[in-house]
Amino acid sequence: MFKKSWIFQLWLLVFIVIPIGLMLLSAVSTFSVLNPTSLEFGFRALEVLRSEVFLRALMQSLKFAGYVTGLGLLIGYPVAYLLARSKSPYKRIWVMALIVPVWSNMLLRIIAFEKLFYPESILNMFGISLDLIGTDFAIVIGMVSIYLPFMIFPIYAVLEKLDPSVLEAAYDLYASPFKRFVHVVLPLSYGGIISGVLMTALPAMTTFALPERLSGGQLLLIGNLIQNYVMRTGRIDLASSMAILLLVVMVIFYRTLLKFDAEGETLV
Amino acid sequence: MHLIDIKNVKKGFNDTLALDDVSFYVRENEFVTLLGPSGCGKTTLLRLIGGFEDLDEGAIELNGHSLVDIPPYDRAINTVFQQYALFPHLNVFNNVAFGLKMKKLPKDVIEDKVMRSLAQVRLKGLENRRIDQLSGGQKQRVAMARAIVNEPKVLLLDEPLAALDLKLRQEMQYELKDLQRRLGITFIYVTHDQEEALTMSDTIVVMNEGKILQIGTPVDIYNEPETKFVAFFIGESNIIPGKMLADYQVEFEDHQYVCVDHGFRKNQKVNVVIRPEDITLKKTKGQLNGIVDAVTFKGVHYEIIVYVGKREYIIHSIYPKVKGDKVSLHFDPEAIHVMKDV
Repeated sequence: MFKKSWIFQLWLLVFIVIPIGLMLLSAVSTFSVLNPTSLEFGFRALEVLRSEVFLRALMQSLKFAGYVTGLGLLIGYPVAYLLARSKSPYKRIWVMALIVPVWSNMLLRIIAFEKLFYPESILNMFGISLDLIGTDFAIVIGMVSIYLPFMIFPIYAVLEKLDPSVLEAAYDLYASPFKRFVHVVLPLSYGGIISGVLMTALPAMTTFALPERLSGGQLLLIGNLIQNYVMRTGRIDLASSMAILLLVVMVIFYRTLLKFDAEGETLV
Repeated sequence: MHLIDIKNVKKGFNDTLALDDVSFYVRENEFVTLLGPSGCGKTTLLRLIGGFEDLDEGAIELNGHSLVDIPPYDRAINTVFQQYALFPHLNVFNNVAFGLKMKKLPKDVIEDKVMRSLAQVRLKGLENRRIDQLSGGQKQRVAMARAIVNEPKVLLLDEPLAALDLKLRQEMQYELKDLQRRLGITFIYVTHDQEEALTMSDTIVVMNEGKILQIGTPVDIYNEPETKFVAFFIGESNIIPGKMLADYQVEFEDHQYVCVDHGFRKNQKVNVVIRPEDITLKKTKGQLNGIVDAVTFKGVHYEIIVYVGKREYIIHSIYPKVKGDKVSLHFDPEAIHVMKDV
């Protein structure tokens, strides 16, 4: 009825294009929002991408994002599947039980985990004493519990919408329950899996509060590096270079995932 | 030898009985239609044969072997679903090949069979199309090909033409019938469209409220409906209450008529069925006289509503009448069909 796409384009411009442009600019020049008159171009800031501290952080970030995505898929897919196929009258309550934690503040949940992971915690009441702070295990547990709903819901949404008669057609055409899953259900839920993977892997790559709290400040992921450069040393140029590299990695990751969804390759 | 035997099948959902003691059989190469209004249990019956529902009581046999504990993927039966239920992630070729791939046939055999069945439904050249690039009629054909490529003993069809427009539906009726004859596959076809049933079937099973009302050839069902419901449901009818005076003699509208029906008790209450096309109108006075109330042009004929006293008669005639015309109604003894008043 009305042509409203300009609102969307304005939105894109103000919140996406201009910020990324500024980031790019600060990565390759002495540009600063506070001091916009000094503008000298140079690629010195990009040197940080070859520094040992950055490469270590990148590797760590990739490692944990990988863990979280893998585990998330392993746990999230079956949960989404059972939830979608469930005919229980309590189904909505189960769905709510997954949504409600997302509504509570993430930092609060991280700090709650932190408290439990120190040797002296409320768990002592039950004779349990954990000493997990600083371990990979603590980080993975924290990340999985926080990002799992973002894996479950896109998959659930897709599975929920699966046409029951298509599933019956698979049975009708000699597919056993297992074959039906492999040849019909799984390929038809690729879209949800891709969304779930993106919604888990990308935040896991960039988180900084969680590793800081659950590692006792020892673990540096890319998010922590960026935060340090921005908040502590004021090196926006270095932070921008990292952020841009991260952006490139994610776009490549996204394009690769999309390739798996191409038609025809899904049935061997 | 019966190919399929349905014996005293009962099936309920929650509190309602969807199928109430249903029995019939299907012979090899037969085209059987389950006909009835929506909610009559015809689709439930089809789903039971396909294995998508479990029955509460009774037996379903294929070639004398019970199907009850056999899952759908182990039955030599295939289904054409109402909304086609094609696999959206597969192209036309892979949709049709699905069943053969599940059966692990060699690749060249699959290729051969798929191409042959695509040719049978006149879809050659479309094998690489995506499903969402097909028209409704083409999807219908893919669904057919996907089923017949497996050479099932029985093909179940659940209102396969319901989503198509009238012209295409009529075309597909002949194509389906022709396909069934050529392939020699037994069809069990569910529809609520009486014309479709009459055109295509060898045998029609008329159902209502979970029960079978009548089983017969299209001609039998049309000419000799056993109950008021069947007479109403199959084509248009004039149904008039009356009573049998003796064999071959029936009274209705206070007049006596010669008919071809017999075997009733003396003075037994009956319903008389006269099809609209069996009544002729004359301008001279006769036994049944009435006034034309409405005339509608239907293409091949005029549909004329005549009131005889307070009763409405529907008549099909190729000659037009005008509202208010005084007419008399005439019909042959063979046109009078007497059925028990139940």
